[in-house]
Amino acid sequence: MRSNSKNTLLKVVILGDGGVGKSCLMNRFVSNQFDEHSFHTIGVEFLNKDIELDGETYTLQIWDTAGQERFKTLRTPFYRGSDICMLTYAVDDKSSFKNIEMWRNEFLNYADVKENGQFPFIVVGNKSDVPVEEREVSQLELETWCNENSITSCIETSAKSASNVQEAFKMAVQYWLRLESRADKIDPGVNDTVDLKKKHSDNRSSCCTGSSE
Amino acid sequence: MHQEMFCLARGIEAIRLMEGDNQRETSFERSDVLRRRVRSNQRPKLKRVRSARKGFEKFQIFEDDVNSIKNKYLKEYWKYVNRMKMMKIKTKTAKKNVDYLQMKTRNDVKSENADDKTVPWMLRWKYRRIHPVCDIRIQQVDGGFFERFGSLFKEQAELVEAQEQIEKKKVAEAAAEVAPEKIDDENFDEPAPTVESDEVSVSSTDTEAEVEKDPTQLIHTAWNIDELYSEVLYEILHNVGCDLSFEIGQTSLFSYAQDAFKISNDKHKHLMEVAEKKEAPDLMINVEVIEAKELHPKDSNGLSDPFVTLYLASNASRKYNSSVKPMTLNPTWEEHFALPIQENATDDTLCLEVWDFDPAESVKEKLGKVFDVKGLKGMRKLVKEIAVTATTGQHENELIGRANIPLNTIPASGMTMWYSLDKKNKITRQGVLKVRISFSSEKNNQVAEQEYRHLLRIILLHELEMSKVAPNWWFGTFSPQGAQLLTQHIAQSGLTPVEVAVCQYCVFAFIHQNHALSLTLFSNLLDRLSKPIQMGVVCDEDVKLFWDATKKLLPSCFGVIRKIRRKNINEKTKMKQVTDVLKILNHIHTLDPPTNIDLFPRAAYPWITNRIDDESNCNVPSALNDAVTKGAVDWLNHILENNKRPDESDFARLQNFIQIIHLIRSDLQKAIEFYDKLFQETVNFQYAKALYVFYQEKVTSLCEPEVRDICRNLKKIQYESTDGENAEDPLCDGTSLFELYLAVQKFATLGAGLCPADCDNFQIRNFHEWFHGGVAQWLDIAVYKALQRIEKAVELDRLTHVDNTVKYSSSAVDTLTIFYQVKVFWQQLNWPDVESCYSFIAKIIDDICRCSVFYADKMAAKVEGLGDSQNVYEKKFEITNEWCLAINNIDYVRETLEPFTNDLGMTEVIQKICDMKSPVDAQRCQQTLENVIANAIDTVRNKIIELLEVVVSKMVPSMRRLLVEGAELCEQDCNSIDRLMMYVDNNLGTLHRELNEENFSRTLSIVWDTLALTLKEIIQTNVDKRRPPSFFANLRKTLNLMMGSFKNPNEYDSCDVLSKTEQLLRIHGMETGDLIHEVHKNMQKKFKETTESPYGEISVRAKFQDTSLTVEVMNASNLMAMDWNGSCDSFVRIHLLPDHKFLSIEKPKTKTHNKNQFPLYDEQFTFTLTCDQRQIEDGLIMFSVKDKDLLGYNNRYIGEAFLAFSEIEDTMQYIGCLPQTHLLLDRASNSILASEEMRALEQRQGDKLAKEFLKKFKQRMGS
Ligand SMILES: Nc1nc2c(ncn2[C@@H]2O[C@H](COP(=O)(O)OP(=O)(O)O)[C@@H](O)[C@H]2O)c(=O)[nH]1
Ligand SMILES: [Mg+2]
Repeated sequence: MRSNSKNTLLKVVILGDGGVGKSCLMNRFVSNQFDEHSFHTIGVEFLNKDIELDGETYTLQIWDTAGQERFKTLRTPFYRGSDICMLTYAVDDKSSFKNIEMWRNEFLNYADVKENGQFPFIVVGNKSDVPVEEREVSQLELETWCNENSITSCIETSAKSASNVQEAFKMAVQYWLRLESRADKIDPGVNDTVDLKKKHSDNRSSCCTGSSE
Repeated sequence: MHQEMFCLARGIEAIRLMEGDNQRETSFERSDVLRRRVRSNQRPKLKRVRSARKGFEKFQIFEDDVNSIKNKYLKEYWKYVNRMKMMKIKTKTAKKNVDYLQMKTRNDVKSENADDKTVPWMLRWKYRRIHPVCDIRIQQVDGGFFERFGSLFKEQAELVEAQEQIEKKKVAEAAAEVAPEKIDDENFDEPAPTVESDEVSVSSTDTEAEVEKDPTQLIHTAWNIDELYSEVLYEILHNVGCDLSFEIGQTSLFSYAQDAFKISNDKHKHLMEVAEKKEAPDLMINVEVIEAKELHPKDSNGLSDPFVTLYLASNASRKYNSSVKPMTLNPTWEEHFALPIQENATDDTLCLEVWDFDPAESVKEKLGKVFDVKGLKGMRKLVKEIAVTATTGQHENELIGRANIPLNTIPASGMTMWYSLDKKNKITRQGVLKVRISFSSEKNNQVAEQEYRHLLRIILLHELEMSKVAPNWWFGTFSPQGAQLLTQHIAQSGLTPVEVAVCQYCVFAFIHQNHALSLTLFSNLLDRLSKPIQMGVVCDEDVKLFWDATKKLLPSCFGVIRKIRRKNINEKTKMKQVTDVLKILNHIHTLDPPTNIDLFPRAAYPWITNRIDDESNCNVPSALNDAVTKGAVDWLNHILENNKRPDESDFARLQNFIQIIHLIRSDLQKAIEFYDKLFQETVNFQYAKALYVFYQEKVTSLCEPEVRDICRNLKKIQYESTDGENAEDPLCDGTSLFELYLAVQKFATLGAGLCPADCDNFQIRNFHEWFHGGVAQWLDIAVYKALQRIEKAVELDRLTHVDNTVKYSSSAVDTLTIFYQVKVFWQQLNWPDVESCYSFIAKIIDDICRCSVFYADKMAAKVEGLGDSQNVYEKKFEITNEWCLAINNIDYVRETLEPFTNDLGMTEVIQKICDMKSPVDAQRCQQTLENVIANAIDTVRNKIIELLEVVVSKMVPSMRRLLVEGAELCEQDCNSIDRLMMYVDNNLGTLHRELNEENFSRTLSIVWDTLALTLKEIIQTNVDKRRPPSFFANLRKTLNLMMGSFKNPNEYDSCDVLSKTEQLLRIHGMETGDLIHEVHKNMQKKFKETTESPYGEISVRAKFQDTSLTVEVMNASNLMAMDWNGSCDSFVRIHLLPDHKFLSIEKPKTKTHNKNQFPLYDEQFTFTLTCDQRQIEDGLIMFSVKDKDLLGYNNRYIGEAFLAFSEIEDTMQYIGCLPQTHLLLDRASNSILASEEMRALEQRQGDKLAKEFLKKFKQRMGS
């Protein structure tokens, strides 16, 4: 449970086909555990985790979703208000990689993000631990796709071997920070307005505003 | 100023007493300042206590009886409403008052749900339900959105239900009146046969498509009318029975008949003559001796052997005897006798006698033959024979009793009666005898029946024409003349009741085709007929007639079923009609229609479905089913026809469905309430279920595709575009969609209740899936509306206590109301699918969290700027009640989060997941929900802390200014410290009074943290400004004063930053000499801890005696080699510290011992101290051991050792007797150099003493 009010809250949603290891990633990240026989996610799952970056603490509110089509109406409501979106596939499953685009579009469609601005997507290729012969998506393919879609953050991870899991989340927060600082430069003081509409489009629940005088 | 303090003290004291909080009590009591002030003002304190008590009593009341307060509130509310009305009429300027009243009423309510601990959360909600939801002005934000989107639906539905209930009740009453199985024909009070509305006649012609035929024609084609007419006239002339009523008289009968037959006068005269010439009829009186009871015993065995003798008084010689029933007092005979009677026999009397048989010899002989006779017929003959023998022969039979019946007491239609038996000279009754008596002629039966049918038809048509009775109303009552004619005919033709009933049934059915008669008529006739027909008593011709008539009757019966929804007649009549129809159908079905008759010809029943080719496979139940369905089809088409959509927009489509489903449902409701029982009981047909099966299929095929389509194409809700009118569209559709959902849900629930066994097969079962896409949008809409309302609620909040028992203001209550509405919405949704349910709950909790955070932000924004004041000199901030309210409001909302989530039915859902999936899944879902809740609560709590920090940070400038001022001016003016205290006092006092314990202590710790940080800053800047030590000393004094006043001593050390700051102040507050001594003391402490030294060791002795100090330096060992030659030339110098206190004392030294690492000094020094010097408690002796330079200029430190005054004995003893003290030598180190004290000395740049010390210190370190 969080105690510090100074932390910045960031809402993260993890999207991707069923079985690519979203739940495993989250569990590895939050409790550093890996369960080979994890259960199918029902609808959504939620966990909290603090992460430190350059001396600042960020509280990540992570929403893990169920990838099956029948859960679509159950997960999409949770997109709204997200700060970070993690698009996940498994390197040993080509089709899950192909679907990344679909996931991004679904997210953009329901998340109600600002149209002009960029959104911190991070593409995560999970199960990097699988033997080379089982691999279906190369690192190069991943980077190419990200370049084409102007997404600057991508990483291969393994929830099983714990490789790059922390890094993936850190990378996401960094990306968010980059975009945020840029946005601040463009439109300073947007948070001061008490206008309902603007609040909605920018309903970041940042808790670090009260510390200054 | 005094006044202010006074208030403060009073306030704090009162709070203390009110809350009885020991912990805080001590913390406040520590403030001497406060105490003084409190003591001097006793009276106001008492007053406050009293008012606090009052508040307490209020809670008690509340706990005792919530209801009474509810009532009180309701009363208040109506008063208020009335007043509102008055106001409106009076003047518009009274608006202000209205607002006030509104507030007041609201406050009244809110005050009741004040105490969180005494009333469970749910109860408070329940309680709120009677409140007019929330401020009208908040509703206006979205045009009463939630009221439509949830709670109002609920209320509406309740209202509709209530109305339905009333309607139902009406019909139920009607049904109850009609219900009695047997309807007494005579007593049935006939409803006025007035035409109710045009529709009736319309419907009647509509039922029977043919145009009514001319009745006269009907009569003439049927029968040779003259012949029948003269027969009737003849019957009038030869009336039988007692009921030739004198009032009616022959003449009236003649004229009635003439009218009915439509006979001209001439013809009448002619036919009259013919009738008069005709001989009197051969009339018989038929007597059936049925049974006797309670006969008087005549034989020795206490029984009798009774038989009956009957004869007419006018012909006593012609006697008729019944058989003998041996040995019984309750014989049953059931024997028939026909006695010819004379014309005008009205004066005659029928005599009945019961005898006890006393058999003669001959009879006995005959009885002996009984066993030789074979077959039943022979037996009966024999018994009769015996009886005849008995009566004609000389016998000694004994009379039991007799009854005489004058013929003029017997009605023409006959009668059945018990007669009591009398005997001359006997007063007591001799028993009772039951006989049936009727008249008959010896006419041909077939002819008589036919005549009767024609007569009946003529008379009925005549009567219908004359009385203009409305369709469906005639149920068997003739005018007296008509009745008389018919009865006479029956009597004179000797028709049996069954024959009469068949005739009536046929004639009525025939007439019914053209002129609808009451169906009761038929059901009553069937009551009488069905048994005889089943038993085969009715002759074949009559059976055939019966079925022909039935065929004519049935279409109108099914017509009633099909048109059961027509509102052409009142409910009571309708019920009665349906009851009759069902009775009729039941009779017909049980009679098992013969196969050779097609009861359901295709032409008459075009609506009968599922016929197999041309075969008439229909039976009553299947036809009934089809009729019911057809009725529903027609009605549904009618609904669809009359409820056309104005356009094809989603909204119009949805509203249309809602309307249709509502109508269907109320139809079903009615079917269930009234007809279903009737159908089931009478014909064992599940009426409501049949309807439901039909409707659910129709509703599904009607709605499902369109609903799915609408859900698929739901527009996203764009919050940005709310100003445009078009933005309302998706909201509107969303709401309608929800409304439809509720309607379908209700409909589906009805089905589940109606046919629990079959509902799994219904298409409608998965109705929620049609709406699946809509739920997400509903949730979105709900949040959106909630946010809007919250904003409005905050805007309208006047930031005053809802009432004096609670510490929050209106917007908090309003926000909770909004949450409640979201919850009602969720409960209404009652989503059946568990997995989705779980996700939706998570979403709702997250949304509510979002709303709470939004509320917190709005609240913070609202109070921002309050309490700030500014003049030329300074910016000031005073904590105001508004700030406290804002904090309390947010806290109040936060507190309800958890109970709120419990109300969403989480546990049930988790349990279901556990059952459906696995416990592990359930566990994970539960964990997620708990996480979401905890996160929500945390987030809101952090919002509160944030706000508290804002509040405290606003106090900082004032505090800082006062602190600095106080430090600068302390010596001259204590006032600024006082002012600081007051400032803190004031603000903390307000906080303490207004905030709850948790938030207050949170604030306190923030205050201390902030204060520490501020002081640190002050220290830094003022050190840079080279403030004198007194500045810091003053700051420290102030700080300690404050801590003493406001801080709980057991929390004293908990604040790390604070104690560090205090320490820092202490150091900076010291004079340089003291500070140096502080360094030395630290060194002494540190040296004492060393156990090993490279520098060597010295041994000394020291003692005090009075004010003199004697020190003996004995020797040193293992001194560090300092010179090139590997040895050292050492001496020891003695310093008394602190230096500035021993200025008068010289610093002696020993002789130098060359090239010796183990020198023996053995020198004694005596210092004579002043009294003050002797009293210095932390005094130290410093031994510095140095290596003497050749030239004496550059002596180098070997090491130092300290001996504290406190370690030296004060003794008279000779010093040589004291033990030696061995001191390890050590040097000043970097750790000492880095200490705060040294840093402080370094910062005293302009201080010579400090400078010198620092310079020396470096040397002492051995550099
Ligand atoms: N080899 C390997 N298997 C993984 C890894 N992460 C997850 N899995 C497996 O992938 C399967 C699906 O994981 P899960 O987290 O349930 O996928 P989700 O449907 O995306 O949440 C499980 O059987 C995991 O054991 C990984 O990093 N490496
Ligand atoms: Mg999963």
